[in-house]
Amino acid sequence: MNQQAVMNQPAGTTPATDVAERPAALTFQPNVDIRDLGGEVVFTADIPGSKADGIDVTFEDGVLTMHATVPPREQAGRPIRQEYGIGNYRRSFRLGDGFDASQVTADYARGVLTVHVPRLAAVRPRKVAVRAG
Amino acid sequence: MTTFRAGFALPLEELRDEFDRLWTSLTAAPPLHGWGVRPEGVFPAVNVRETADAVSVEAELPGLDAGDVEISVTGEELLLRGSRPQTEPAATGNGEAAEAAKVVWHRRERGTGGFERRIPLPVAVDPAGVEARLVDGVLLITCPKAAEAKPHRVEVRSA
Repeated sequence: MNQQAVMNQPAGTTPATDVAERPAALTFQPNVDIRDLGGEVVFTADIPGSKADGIDVTFEDGVLTMHATVPPREQAGRPIRQEYGIGNYRRSFRLGDGFDASQVTADYARGVLTVHVPRLAAVRPRKVAVRAG
Repeated sequence: MTTFRAGFALPLEELRDEFDRLWTSLTAAPPLHGWGVRPEGVFPAVNVRETADAVSVEAELPGLDAGDVEISVTGEELLLRGSRPQTEPAATGNGEAAEAAKVVWHRRERGTGGFERRIPLPVAVDPAGVEARLVDGVLLITCPKAAEAKPHRVEVRSA
């Protein structure tokens, strides 16, 4: 996975690397899409079964952390087939400098958390017009 | 040295694309934090429970609306079918429209596209009484057991 992240890393852009953390019991890492749109980096995380007020998103010292609590669900009867566990979600990514912490926004809908981390205006890619001499 | 520069840049691009393809094929069905007996590449993962009068099937389908999933029940089998939409690449937080070609994917772990899964049920259920709710990406299907499958309590008479 790390190898893939490195290969996807074009030169000169900020790597979004996993920050190693020891997960507590029944805390899962959500599947995440990370897209760099130039002016911002967008994180999309699958966090089924949570609520907006149970999700904490922090951006501190260049590290984005998503933490979601998932309330227990009704578990009546006996299990016939158990293919996944239910627990909280947590995942962090190191983004580095050049992002505007005050402008980070997060939305939760249909079990998907979307976090927008905008770049500081000063470091946004800018197209320079070439003038004919 | 035009050829050298082109030849130097392209393999890296190709390698990156190759990794993307490999990664996408590996994660076409997202590796949900599962345990148990789910065969590789099967989406979605389900938890099935049985009570005295119903069988419940729960599946995690983040990103889907109720209209994106189709459920049909025939006797002792439940069919789950649907499609997970692609992440919208053009939506930005500040209203700027990003050009799709300029989007750089750093990670792509969430699978997209169609899925179909047949789930065998432990007993016959009443298809007419099946109810399903999709809340915050969690689909809960409750299938009441068919009358003949419900436990029948036998009174023991004293002689």
